[in-house]
Amino acid sequence: MILEIKDLMKSFPKKKDEMLAIADFDLDVEEGEFVCILGPSGCGKTTILRIIAGLESQTRGKILLNGKEISGPGSDRGMVFQEFALFPWRTVRRNVEFGLELKGIPPEERRERTQKFIELVGLNGFEDYHPYQLSGGMKQRVGIARALANQPAILLMDEPFGALDAQTRNLMQKELLRIWSETKKTVIFVTHSVDEALYLADRIVVMTARPSSIGQIYEIKWPRPRDRASPEFAALRKQILAQLESMVKMDE
Amino acid sequence: MSEGKVDRLDDVKELLKKPLIKNAIMTVISLGMFIMTWWAVSILANLVYIPTPWEALDALVRSFVEVDPNLGITMWQNIYASLRRFILGFLLALALAIPLGLAMGYSKIFELLAKPVVEVFRPIPPIAWVPLFILVFAYFWGPIMVIFVGVLFPLLSNIYFGVKSVDPILVDAAKTQGASRLQIFTKVVFPYTIPFLMTGIRIGMGIGWMCIVAAEMIGVQGGGLGYYILTQALTLGLYDKMFAGLIVVAILGLLTTGIMQYLENVTNRRMGIR
Repeated sequence: MILEIKDLMKSFPKKKDEMLAIADFDLDVEEGEFVCILGPSGCGKTTILRIIAGLESQTRGKILLNGKEISGPGSDRGMVFQEFALFPWRTVRRNVEFGLELKGIPPEERRERTQKFIELVGLNGFEDYHPYQLSGGMKQRVGIARALANQPAILLMDEPFGALDAQTRNLMQKELLRIWSETKKTVIFVTHSVDEALYLADRIVVMTARPSSIGQIYEIKWPRPRDRASPEFAALRKQILAQLESMVKMDE
Repeated sequence: MSEGKVDRLDDVKELLKKPLIKNAIMTVISLGMFIMTWWAVSILANLVYIPTPWEALDALVRSFVEVDPNLGITMWQNIYASLRRFILGFLLALALAIPLGLAMGYSKIFELLAKPVVEVFRPIPPIAWVPLFILVFAYFWGPIMVIFVGVLFPLLSNIYFGVKSVDPILVDAAKTQGASRLQIFTKVVFPYTIPFLMTGIRIGMGIGWMCIVAAEMIGVQGGGLGYYILTQALTLGLYDKMFAGLIVVAILGLLTTGIMQYLENVTNRRMGIR
């Protein structure tokens, strides 16, 4: 077990009382597993990811990474952001090198160690470009390479393809699976797209509406690459969509 | 024959469509009209205070090649005196504004402590300090300190604003890459602020230039453009020379603004802003 989330609870102060955002969230993730956290917007799935990353603190509960409790952010958890969050003044290479630079690794070695990640995400030839010169899909390739180059134990992805157009998103999903199979990283991927979750995940964690907890977990054992047009894909998509819809109605 | 003429006319029309050439032509026309108006006014009004453009140009050229018999120096030396004050005052302002602005933006306690003092001093026009600064810092450092206060506040507010507008998602990204608080400052906050600093410098240059000329009119030793303009006009009554001084101030102002605009563009490109 690489990641254990135990009895996670998060509440925000709200005028006089408190607003419960996340309650009773328990999840164990296996080494090398691809887990999608799926839920309606505003359900707190991003908050869960940010707590795992150490960017926010939980009100109660524990998160263990390789058996050690997490407190605060650290380079053992790589994060990919929906907004890409690239440093605009750094070139592609210098963005990917960022984590190694923080660790004080000399330039020669940095270059050597990051080059393979730049190639892995298919950005060779673009090393000296600035982010503003890249398309959305390419920016997120940089985001993924930067997270991986730091050699984290797990990769946290917060709706990473949410800002991309439909065609680019499909291509990036395919690319992500290729990268995942080459690096064998554990991935926790937050999305609100049922289609995306079904295409990518080993396991889909469907969240309930606020206060969020785990509604249902689906194990997806289909081989990859998956066919979005296949009957079993369509059937499961329909089932999960109905489940999400009923939750949104309940919330109203 | 006639066809060739039409072609040439079309060529000229085509040339006029290019924005750069259009701009250049319009600038020449605009300045030409201004000089013509000046000329007309100087002849029609027939005032001693308004020489013709030709007289002003003559005085301008002479001021560079001849030692002024009343001041004992050339225009070059006046320019040198003003620029030296300008640069010294500017560097002093930078030396204080950069650390103060960064600290005010980054540390809440420092912001709360420094802000009331800054807000009290900000609305005072820089020129209002001249008498006090002449008394306290005397004739060499007095005008320099006027530049200093004039430039300080635009620099300070821009740097402070830059730190305040750092994109929080970039700080998050740095944290997940394992950055310490100091590293977040040196590798995210500081580079993010550089374009804002450049804007502050450009605005400060304009204000500083006005300050130096005004300060030199009130109290100065060892020449300077403000001193030159004031002395020629009010002490000596040499109005063509006064106009020569005005032209020099205008050209230097244009040059500094142009250079700064260029540097700002280069910096923005290097900092990844299109």
